[in-house]
Amino acid sequence: MNEEGDLAGTDTLGDGDCVVLTFPARGDLVVLARLVASAISTRVGFDIEELEDLRLAVGELCLLALSGSDARHGDLQLEFTVSPEALDISCTLGGAAPATASQSNDGDEAAELSEQILAALVDEHGSEQEDGAVRAWLRKRRKGPLP
Amino acid sequence: MEQEFRIEERVDEGVPVITVVGEIDVATAPQLRESLHRVIAQGQSTVVLDMLAVTFLDSTALGVLVGGLKRCRELGGELHVVVADARIRKIFEITGLNKVFPLAAALTEVGAP
Repeated sequence: MNEEGDLAGTDTLGDGDCVVLTFPARGDLVVLARLVASAISTRVGFDIEELEDLRLAVGELCLLALSGSDARHGDLQLEFTVSPEALDISCTLGGAAPATASQSNDGDEAAELSEQILAALVDEHGSEQEDGAVRAWLRKRRKGPLP
Repeated sequence: MEQEFRIEERVDEGVPVITVVGEIDVATAPQLRESLHRVIAQGQSTVVLDMLAVTFLDSTALGVLVGGLKRCRELGGELHVVVADARIRKIFEITGLNKVFPLAAALTEVGAP
């Protein structure tokens, strides 16, 4: 919301704004995460190349979160948090069972590619287990001030 | 909301060509895997993958391409990937796969009309 409380708002996001997206952990819905990443990127002043980088990176974040689990019954929750320095994105998979051995093996190869892509496109990234849920995160620093 | 995704298989002057249109991601990559397996199972060891109309590629898609390449090479052939878009080529470059795949920028470069 802008300073006047106008619900029509502006076309920007500011310091401290946080957007949360939750959806069933299905591959065909990862496109939702990419769409939201695109929309947010434009609103925090990233250029078209940074937008494309983030679109790809967010998809990989979802894949990393999905890779350690049998996600058929879980939900993916993404949080996009805006600060003057960066856009922080986390992706948490909750409510999913651990992956079977074969799923883990397949996931290892894919996760390696995801790691390479994230390392090239964002400034920081990582993943960890938190209370039985997988959480992957990234930070993309801004080149200039917020719009 | 969702972009069109389409796979077409054809043989042009003896060269099997798989054309992909749209985004190849975790949701659509299995269709590409099936297509590659089907074409290779028909006895084709060298395949041209036309990705000129691909608009997005993720790590799942790359995994499928690596799998296809391995199958082709096991049979003494090759998987030629045709891709012109700079964004798509960048994904091959940052993963180092541009050194693994013979990338071409046009179908004519790999003998497909």
